[in-house]
Amino acid sequence: MRRTPGRRVLNGALIYLAVIAVAWCALLPILWAVSASLKSEGELLDATPLPAHPQWSNYADVFDAIPLGRMLLNTVIYAGCVTAGQVFFCSLAGYAFARLRFPGREALFLAYLATLMVPLTVTVIPQFLLMRALGWMDTPWSMIVPGLFGSAFGTYLMRQFFQTLPTELEEAATLDGCTPWQIYWRVLLPHARPAVMVLAVLTWITVWNDFLWPLIMIQRNEYATATLGLIRLQGQYSTNWPLLMSAAILLLLPLLLLYALAQRSFVKGIAMSGLGGR
Amino acid sequence: MSGPERGATGLLSGESAAGAEARPPAAERGRGRAGATALARRRARAGALFIAPNLAAVAVFLLFPLGFSLYLSFHSWDLFSAPRFVGMDNYRRLFTADPLFYIALRNTAVFTVLTLVPTVVISLAIAALLNRKLAGIAVFRTIAFLPLVASTVAMAVVFRFIFASDDGLLNRMLGWIGLGPVPWLTDPDWALVSLSLVTVWKSVPFATVILLAAMQGVPENLYEAAQIDGAGAFRRFRSITVPLIRGALSFVFVITIINSVQAFDQAYALTGSNGGPETGTYVLGIMLFQNAFRFYEVGYASALAWVIFAILLVLTLIQLRLSRRAEADL
Repeated sequence: MRRTPGRRVLNGALIYLAVIAVAWCALLPILWAVSASLKSEGELLDATPLPAHPQWSNYADVFDAIPLGRMLLNTVIYAGCVTAGQVFFCSLAGYAFARLRFPGREALFLAYLATLMVPLTVTVIPQFLLMRALGWMDTPWSMIVPGLFGSAFGTYLMRQFFQTLPTELEEAATLDGCTPWQIYWRVLLPHARPAVMVLAVLTWITVWNDFLWPLIMIQRNEYATATLGLIRLQGQYSTNWPLLMSAAILLLLPLLLLYALAQRSFVKGIAMSGLGGR
Repeated sequence: MSGPERGATGLLSGESAAGAEARPPAAERGRGRAGATALARRRARAGALFIAPNLAAVAVFLLFPLGFSLYLSFHSWDLFSAPRFVGMDNYRRLFTADPLFYIALRNTAVFTVLTLVPTVVISLAIAALLNRKLAGIAVFRTIAFLPLVASTVAMAVVFRFIFASDDGLLNRMLGWIGLGPVPWLTDPDWALVSLSLVTVWKSVPFATVILLAAMQGVPENLYEAAQIDGAGAFRRFRSITVPLIRGALSFVFVITIINSVQAFDQAYALTGSNGGPETGTYVLGIMLFQNAFRFYEVGYASALAWVIFAILLVLTLIQLRLSRRAEADL
């Protein structure tokens, strides 16, 4: 109102400056790691933002130093199995909690809600003992089975979503003689794609970035995850920064790509569920 | 089928339920209700069946561990001999005989404050900034939220490089503005600050997403009305935005505290499994890990886990009460 055009331009410029500064803070560590991953050890001491002679061989050397290819493949397998299991069993249970009446439903759901509060620190020791008793330590089973049949969080998320779907969808199917399974599989699940995407992406990221659980479960490199590989590399070659940064980028890159692709629904999902990475 | 019709057949079939099988026509008419109860029964069975695998998983990997860890916390167990009941000894040892516990408690408290305050202040400012309608704002949002997906461990390793003593990026940047090098990871006090820095970098985007989503739910006309009344941008933010996103703010508080009190990944990757230098980054998460998985003092570590749980519960309850009272004041 009272502002002159000059002031408005200045204001706009300041705001853009602030926004750029924020983006820069988010990006700088990653960009600096990319830059360092392409430097030679001698060049590392120079403050140049870009390496004069990019050493792409650093990335190949990581695979010689640790079996990172194997570790990345393991992580993909673990994340894939757990994600598929979470999506299937959580949506199935979420549908039951949202739409089917069965004895004890309300009490059970309250118990599920309560368990969302339990921190990892309380359950991790007995889970470790359980895996030891089953003889699953240092095997892929310990990485896959605990998450395979769903979680309280995923079920809660899917239930909330199913409750927003109109009941008319199922009523028509019921009159046509569909069983509850057919209603779930053919009618509701196709409508639940946004929620399924959110749960799948969140689960994938959690398994991909998980550290404490693989650290206490897995010794052998052939079953190790990529996060474990990075830590082991750090222990072995703490001074070879270019190598270490290459490994860190290799660990970050797949998720950054996933984020670039699924960014919109992912951010919406986090805001919607109010939960997410631990 | 319309309402009254369904009621009529229901009534009929109810009266003739006993002889329904003997009289085909009545049975035919009564199918509405009998069908409905059979359907309900079938749906109940399906419901129980559908949650069974999930329920089993939650029971085995969450509920059982919860109870078992409480049981363990009253026992002494080295994983090899039989567990021995020791009553409150583990808890007594924590509070009266283990100086490391108080070091871990103090470090965790300092770390939580050093993480919580910047996370809330910075994410509030960034959310307000990103809430503006600007050309290209979607691109800036995408970049600003990027750390959401970054692995804590990988970023801690990257930050270790940035903190690296004299020629690390951070010290070099400080040098440009004439400030001396800071012993980021070699001095115990600075190491805790460094740990907080990594954690803030990682947790600000999450808090920002939550706050931004809440801000976008604030009705536009409130701002317009305030502007007509002559309220400046900062006044509008303080008197409209902040009170209306109180729920989201309170959630951000609780989640940041929960994550800070349990912090482990970043401490392990940044300064190692011993919480060094000296005891500079010896936080509760590191103490739990060492006792449980290095020293195999399973009962003692379980007691520590329950103390951590209790701390989190108390803090959450306090936060809930405070935010509720603040709401009543409005």
